[in-house]
Amino acid sequence: MAAFDYAPVIVLLPFLSFLVAIGTAIFARGKNVLPKGGALPGIVAMAGALLLSIWMFVTVEAQGAYDQTLYTWASGPGEGTFTLTFGVLVDQLSAMMLVIVTLVSLLVHVFSLGYMNDEDETGLPRYYAGLGLFSASMLGFVVADNLLMAFMFFELVGLCSWLLIGFWFREPGPPSAAKKAFLVTRFGDYFFLIGVVAVFATFGTSQFSPIGGMEAFPVLAEEALTGSAEGINTFGFDAATWFNIVGLLVLGGVVGKSAQFPLHTWLPDAMEGPTPVSALIHAATMVAAGVFLVARMYGFYALIPTTLAIIAFIGGFTALFAATMGVVKREIKQVLAYSTISQYGYMMLALGGGGYVAATFHLMTHAFFKALLFLGAGSVIIAMHHNENMWDMGGLKERMPVTYYTFLSGSLALAGIFPFAGFWSKDEVLYETLVHGLGGSPLLLAAYAMGLLAVFFTGFYTFRMVLLTFHGEPRSETARNPHGVRWNVKGPLVVLGVLAATAGFANLVPVEKLTGANVDFLHDWLYHGPETLNGEHYSTLLHDVAGYTAADFSVLISAAVSLGMALAGVGLAWMLYNDPSPEEHTAKLGAVKDLWYHNYYQDEFQVWLAETGGLGIARGSDKFDQGVVDGVVNGVSSVSLFSGSRVKRVQTGVVSNYAALLTLGVVVLMVALGLYGGWFL
Amino acid sequence: MIIEILIAFTLVAALATFFAPDRVSGKLAFALSLVPVVGSLYMWSLFDASGNALLQGSQVAFETNMPWISLGGYEIAWHVGLDGISLPLFVLTTVLTSLAIVSAWTPIDTRASQFYGLMLFMEASLLGVFSALDFFAWFVFWEAVLVPMYFLIGVWGGPRRKYAAIKFFVYTNVASLAMFIGFMALVFALGDSVTSLGLPEIAQATRAGEVGSYFGLGAGAIKTVAFAAMFVGFGVKVPIAPFHTWLPDAHVEAPTPVSVMLAGVLLKMGTYALLRFNFTMLPDVAAQYAIIIAVFAVVSVIYGAFLALAQQDLKRIVAYSSVSSMGYVILGLVAYTLYGVGGATFQMVAHGLISGLMFMTVGVIYNTTHTRMVGDMSGLADRMPVTVGILVAAAFGYMGLPLMAGFAAEFFIFVGSFGSQTLPFAPLFTALAMFGIVVVAGYLLFAMQRTLFGPFRLETDYTVGPAPLHDKLPIAVLLLLVIALGVAPELFWGMILDAVEPVLETGGGA
Repeated sequence: MAAFDYAPVIVLLPFLSFLVAIGTAIFARGKNVLPKGGALPGIVAMAGALLLSIWMFVTVEAQGAYDQTLYTWASGPGEGTFTLTFGVLVDQLSAMMLVIVTLVSLLVHVFSLGYMNDEDETGLPRYYAGLGLFSASMLGFVVADNLLMAFMFFELVGLCSWLLIGFWFREPGPPSAAKKAFLVTRFGDYFFLIGVVAVFATFGTSQFSPIGGMEAFPVLAEEALTGSAEGINTFGFDAATWFNIVGLLVLGGVVGKSAQFPLHTWLPDAMEGPTPVSALIHAATMVAAGVFLVARMYGFYALIPTTLAIIAFIGGFTALFAATMGVVKREIKQVLAYSTISQYGYMMLALGGGGYVAATFHLMTHAFFKALLFLGAGSVIIAMHHNENMWDMGGLKERMPVTYYTFLSGSLALAGIFPFAGFWSKDEVLYETLVHGLGGSPLLLAAYAMGLLAVFFTGFYTFRMVLLTFHGEPRSETARNPHGVRWNVKGPLVVLGVLAATAGFANLVPVEKLTGANVDFLHDWLYHGPETLNGEHYSTLLHDVAGYTAADFSVLISAAVSLGMALAGVGLAWMLYNDPSPEEHTAKLGAVKDLWYHNYYQDEFQVWLAETGGLGIARGSDKFDQGVVDGVVNGVSSVSLFSGSRVKRVQTGVVSNYAALLTLGVVVLMVALGLYGGWFL
Repeated sequence: MIIEILIAFTLVAALATFFAPDRVSGKLAFALSLVPVVGSLYMWSLFDASGNALLQGSQVAFETNMPWISLGGYEIAWHVGLDGISLPLFVLTTVLTSLAIVSAWTPIDTRASQFYGLMLFMEASLLGVFSALDFFAWFVFWEAVLVPMYFLIGVWGGPRRKYAAIKFFVYTNVASLAMFIGFMALVFALGDSVTSLGLPEIAQATRAGEVGSYFGLGAGAIKTVAFAAMFVGFGVKVPIAPFHTWLPDAHVEAPTPVSVMLAGVLLKMGTYALLRFNFTMLPDVAAQYAIIIAVFAVVSVIYGAFLALAQQDLKRIVAYSSVSSMGYVILGLVAYTLYGVGGATFQMVAHGLISGLMFMTVGVIYNTTHTRMVGDMSGLADRMPVTVGILVAAAFGYMGLPLMAGFAAEFFIFVGSFGSQTLPFAPLFTALAMFGIVVVAGYLLFAMQRTLFGPFRLETDYTVGPAPLHDKLPIAVLLLLVIALGVAPELFWGMILDAVEPVLETGGGA
């Protein structure tokens, strides 16, 4: 198993590039020590990590999965205590994710040469340190073999997002956006952490898969539900109820990081960060982490249909909700931000709808086409001298053809047009939800309907964006004379452009249905793996424990319907915006446009909640503390000071007063003693 | 012997520094304070204790036990020694004192020799508190800590230093009185079953159910009264809300190095004593009133955090956040599980390092900007990048970022308290207390965003530039320690659990 001994190196390489860059940032500030401000160490590290990841992928194919505890972080003596460890789990799912993350991160590093170095940004070592730590944290999360380790790297991912979104800290906007991103996701992570603690308290372990002497909590949960587990503490609840509670708690973190309703508000603000960072956050790290977590512990979620239905419903709702907001945005990155929220909604929809493979498939294709779209947007932003308003663009098609054609490839994939990647994966998401919904879960059908409707909006906003940016006549001076971009921008775009067009061929389910050829490679890949961590096991659980049944429904009809919706959206956009000087048609929507443009006033609501709720309680507590709690303390001291000041008046300093008091005292004493002793009786 | 040597050496060092010329006293104090640091680390490397120093079947490390005096029918011994609970705090004290002394070089410019002398005197007393195993010596050390602290705040403090110093002294002294009465009631109620004031003997007797009736009160009542008196007495020191109001005043007025010691070590005296006295000697009372104690804990966490959110003074923010963080310790203790009590002990060390780091870093900024008010400045990251970088790291440590000491401690406490059998509704209390991790992120991120980032702004007529190296080194060292303890909690975790485990085995009549 020699190859797997190098698995930790995948995490350590970017961490090393972080150390190099941060060391330079601290000890050699302002001196140009690192070549390209730290980009080269980063690129070398990511290239190495990518090669190793591919090697892991190949080795998993050849030898099967690998799970090894590497480091015991903390452990207690004897029975009934917890052993908290770090371990590496490289199976079909994580090997695939490793390749995606390292590839996207490498391309983002290369692209940064064009976006940051060529634009003469300062603080480059800090930037590349952030990218390195971000990649390392995400890779550590991907290979985590237990929930606690996953949580730890999940939090580090949050830290890195704060560092990178707030990269331009001298301006007021980015630090504020960074704070919001961290706080909103922290709110989700609060529930996640309760979930982690609950998993330990319930099962005594948080391993994803049994290893060594340690059991796995999804397996224990399955045994508890099928009636053969012992030593599981469900805190007085029925096992299924308690597992639903735990599952929903962990889901809190997922909703936060994957920007699902209602914790999606941080993501559009996060556009304040440098564009390559947005690509990294949206495509391969951070936002992907949430969905990956559900996939990672799908053996647990597949046992609890109530939670699955909630996941599907949140996903379907978010997909539609975010897509509507994307329709009216003016900035290119804002459109992409809402499309990210929407697309992750699809992945959640698939996971909740029983489509483990579909969700993973969409995670992969989305990683490629969304990274592409962000980098393409980055290229446009360079060209436009950092003006992001699409209404100032137009006509860039002729002036930057490489960006245009690759961006088009990504847009076709996002809109779900045959035969681009997004078509295949989105179709499978919808199909899986539909058949399981028809199989007897009406809530899934509602989620499916929302997802399907979102396809139309997706097609519309995507091509509104493409047409406004690249077609028509230039609407500003910069659009007429855009800034050129170099190979370091075009190279990553071309790689991703090809992938956005072709990645869907990894899983051609409709083709298989049509021709009988065995071409659902991803499906086969994910159906192999460790005994309790593979797609086949999950589908058994879904069927036997969660009671999911798939209705017989033709995948071709489903695909045709969703393609039809997408084409309708694209067609409408084409009709309205394929014009040399298009108008703001969305203005005709009136109040609806305002509602969408202001994001359903969700931001206002949450700011109100934080300010009147959080700060209000804080100010009230402060008043209470100063007035009442400390008031009592000072009151006690004033009482003693006051009584002291009164009593001290006895000490007048006049001798005759003392003599009088003395005499009086003796008399009183004698009378008292006399009464007591019976003299006067 | 080594404990006596270190305490005696520190006392002599204090005296020597006290009479040294002001000019050299800072460097001298630092050099001398390195001896206890090396000594305590050497003790850590040799550490071979097992079990809990107060309970049966233990082997105490570096123990000395010799008869001393006889008082009112009780034998008093000079009894010192360390177990897995006290050694980490012993090390924390020496390390933090040394670093605090370096952090004083910039701000302390008057009566320097007296300042450093008092710091070392305080260190000696603190080492005594954490190592004494006989009540008499322990109480002498306990009270001796107050004296230097009073002068350190009252002489070198801010504008309202006299108010703060007197408030601190009176408040904690009244609390000591309550604690003393409570403990003595317990000792007298033990009657003839104890013949000394040795803490192990008393602890073992109370756990064996030897408490009788005294002063007209039954055994149960006397235990409850003693527990309550000691809980309030130690609770003031911790401080547990609502006994915390001395703390922000003391912190705001105290100079930076004194705040470091106050938050880093002095507060831990309270939780250490709670563990040693209340939870080791009277676990049955603790279990009986678990819900009330847990309410105190949760209120401290949440109320303290919201108070921090309302503050504008960076030092006040950190001061209130200590109330919040120490609330976790109480939660861990009342949970009465291995990870709960162990995590509480770990949190004492972790919070000692992190709060020390926060105060020190805020102090470095104050040295340069001469203001600590959030609204007075912005964009400091531009002018002092390394200090700001460390402050950011420290703040994330405070928020419980994984792989830093605070996360380890808090996670241990949470995972320990969630499944507690002693505390009813344990999951609910745990979940409520955990909300502190959201509020802490709120107030620290808000404060950082407003002071450190954005365009540089500070109305001042002096230049604001990078801090001197001797300001930055101690915070860098502390940060590395925080990370080391977060990556490898086993540096202390094993020995802590070893000493905590016997506490949880409630024997005899308990």
